[in-house]
Amino acid sequence: MSALVVLLSPPVLSWKNDLRTGSPARWLRRLVLLGLGAAFWIGTYWTLKRVLAYFQTVYELGPALAYQLLLIILLTFLSMLLFSNLITSLSTFFLARDLDLVRSAPIPPSSFFYARLITTTVNSSWMVLFFSFPIFAAYGAVFRGGGLFYLWTLLVLPLFLIIPAALGVLITHLLVYWLPARRIRDILFFIGLFAFIVLYFLFRFSQPERLVEPETFGHFLEFLTAMETPSSPFLPSSWSAEIFASVLFARPVNRWFFFALLSSYALFLPLAASWVSAAVYISGWSKAQEARQGRHHSDLLDRIIHWLTHPFPQITKAIMTKDIKSFLRDATQWSQLFLLLALVAVYLYNFKVLPLDRSPIPSATLRTVVSFTNVALAGFVLSAVAMRFAFPAVSLEGRAFWILQTSPIALKSLLWSKFWLNLIPLLVLGELLVFFSNTLLRVPSWMMTLSLITVFFMTFGITAIGVGVGALYPKFHYDHVAEIPTSFGGAICMIFSVAFIGATVMIEAWPVYLLAMEGLNPGSTSAGSWVLAPSLAGVALLTILAVVVPIKLGLSGLEEMPD
Amino acid sequence: MIQLENLSKYYGTLAAVESLNLEIQPGEIFGFLGPNGAGKTTTIRVMMGILKPSSGRATLGGYDVVREPEKAKAITGFVPDRAFIYEKLSGREFLKFVGSLHRMDSPRLERRIAHLLEHFELWEWRDELVEGYSHGMKQRLVLSASLLHEPRILIIDEPMVGIDPRGAKMLKDLFLSLAKSGTTVFLSTHSVGVAEEICQRVGIIHRGRLIASGSMAELYRMARIEEGGLESAFLELTRDGTSP
Repeated sequence: MSALVVLLSPPVLSWKNDLRTGSPARWLRRLVLLGLGAAFWIGTYWTLKRVLAYFQTVYELGPALAYQLLLIILLTFLSMLLFSNLITSLSTFFLARDLDLVRSAPIPPSSFFYARLITTTVNSSWMVLFFSFPIFAAYGAVFRGGGLFYLWTLLVLPLFLIIPAALGVLITHLLVYWLPARRIRDILFFIGLFAFIVLYFLFRFSQPERLVEPETFGHFLEFLTAMETPSSPFLPSSWSAEIFASVLFARPVNRWFFFALLSSYALFLPLAASWVSAAVYISGWSKAQEARQGRHHSDLLDRIIHWLTHPFPQITKAIMTKDIKSFLRDATQWSQLFLLLALVAVYLYNFKVLPLDRSPIPSATLRTVVSFTNVALAGFVLSAVAMRFAFPAVSLEGRAFWILQTSPIALKSLLWSKFWLNLIPLLVLGELLVFFSNTLLRVPSWMMTLSLITVFFMTFGITAIGVGVGALYPKFHYDHVAEIPTSFGGAICMIFSVAFIGATVMIEAWPVYLLAMEGLNPGSTSAGSWVLAPSLAGVALLTILAVVVPIKLGLSGLEEMPD
Repeated sequence: MIQLENLSKYYGTLAAVESLNLEIQPGEIFGFLGPNGAGKTTTIRVMMGILKPSSGRATLGGYDVVREPEKAKAITGFVPDRAFIYEKLSGREFLKFVGSLHRMDSPRLERRIAHLLEHFELWEWRDELVEGYSHGMKQRLVLSASLLHEPRILIIDEPMVGIDPRGAKMLKDLFLSLAKSGTTVFLSTHSVGVAEEICQRVGIIHRGRLIASGSMAELYRMARIEEGGLESAFLELTRDGTSP
């Protein structure tokens, strides 16, 4: 027992020390993050409360709808938890930097196992727990669960978290026993992303918007009646939902039976995982430390990269070549492109199925309005992509940043090479998105031109904000590239990007309104395409600011040479 | 060739380096000795422009590292104590990248890469990703990178860490031949034996201050010892405090 406490003490002490020794800037960061967290909680609570209150107004079906939603939420949490535990346990059990130290100490293997299991559970679950609080609070408030509901939540949640953690640890042990750990992380990341994309497609292509159409409502009722029972009765998420539903909606089930089911699995799975660990850990860990790579030399790739980068100066070209090669050889980086492709496909599909012709507003005007909204939406898609690729660009130098720091180059060459490398694909993406969605919308030619020019400007600003803020808040020490955008700097970058897109749209809103009105009622405003010129000039000016300021800020941040 | 004038670096209120004055001539091998935490690595990081000095100045080949960092770095090669490099590049690609940062033209760069990879016994591994290299191989690769552009100054932090005896011998021979050809070698180490063997002059830093500097004979005199070599002199001079 004492060995377990000792093993758990480093993360606890680090956390405590980190909290105790904070500079004012650090506390400010914490406050901002806390503010963002609180805003998220309030937003989720408020939205869900409204949805659940609306459900309640649906005669007879209210609790059934709320129950189905709870099932979906818990099932989503369960799958997220399982995936996150698989990834985390790979690090905590097989790749962590302190393993040599801990495993060479005279501690019982069972203490090591349970300490790592607890660490894995906490690291993987805190975010899900954080997201779940406003959800449970909304359910409790709308269905008047009272103290009993919260008591059951406290009893059920720990069991609900332990089951996927133990299962994740168990599966990871078996995987590492068969495959090298470093490859598994790539494979898992790839599988997870793929599964997410498939789910995303399935959800989108099932056209959930049709459910609000009256002609399909009859089927919807039948569907819901059929769904009165959980579709997956063997999952812990369904058992937990049954317990909550019995308290909230007075469903006639024996909640103690489901609690006993949850408890028995929450006790058995960690035990089973500890047996598996005792049997396979040493050989798995030993394998995890062996890594032998093949030869990497391709004249064709070198020629393509040379062709792509030849217009740039020597240093920019060198940095771009290094970045492109590192990107292509790191599965955790390039596999994110699949996410991007899925996003684009669904984005365009949305425009294809928009029922614009059934609207009471004249179709041409509506198309103009939707197309203008599309510019902002394309901006948001671009900023989401920039968060994944442009924002981490400087941080990806990692602990090898000393090479650039000690080289005879100006750091601005580094920032500009990152800027160009990210700008070009983002520009192609943004222009294609807007061109194809506008083609699907059949918008007037002035709107097409305006959209293409606006997105052209916007991409410059969004890329510079990503690269610049990424340089201002670099995260050189990271375990996985996907954790870079989740930092404080990531939040700031997103806020700046959204503000920039918002300002761009606002500058153009008035002339677009005039032209749309002119289209609706010719001669009413006497506005011609010329009204767009001043606002486009304004957007160009704003873009120059959005490029220069973040890059300068990022540069001064890097040149500060933090201690 | 290397000049430090009243160089100080503070971390908050803690003085890591205080009023450091030093002058090192071309072709000299200078040993920078000190206990752990004495300020050796901080001094080097300031000299290489990774850290900003709190006050004072450092010049390399006459170039101020704060005012003219690019010129100072262009004539300097640097090997840090813990060298992290791009894991997803092959050894040859890494050297090509570093050479390009130094604006080397292609034929010269290819020639130097081949020469250095052969010299440091990495030629067979040239197309393997760095992530598959051993610690010693990474050290040799970083050393190759630091010598690619034929620097006039070589700054090395703890060169012997993790190097086998054969590698250590190769390094010592390399430093001697570099110095012979006019390159200034600034060697930070806590290995007294290495310093004694190859350095013409040694500076001893303790608690951020340079407490002694000179040839071996001068150091023995300062420490008031007649036998026991540099190790005894070092222990005597740093006697008032133990390493943290």
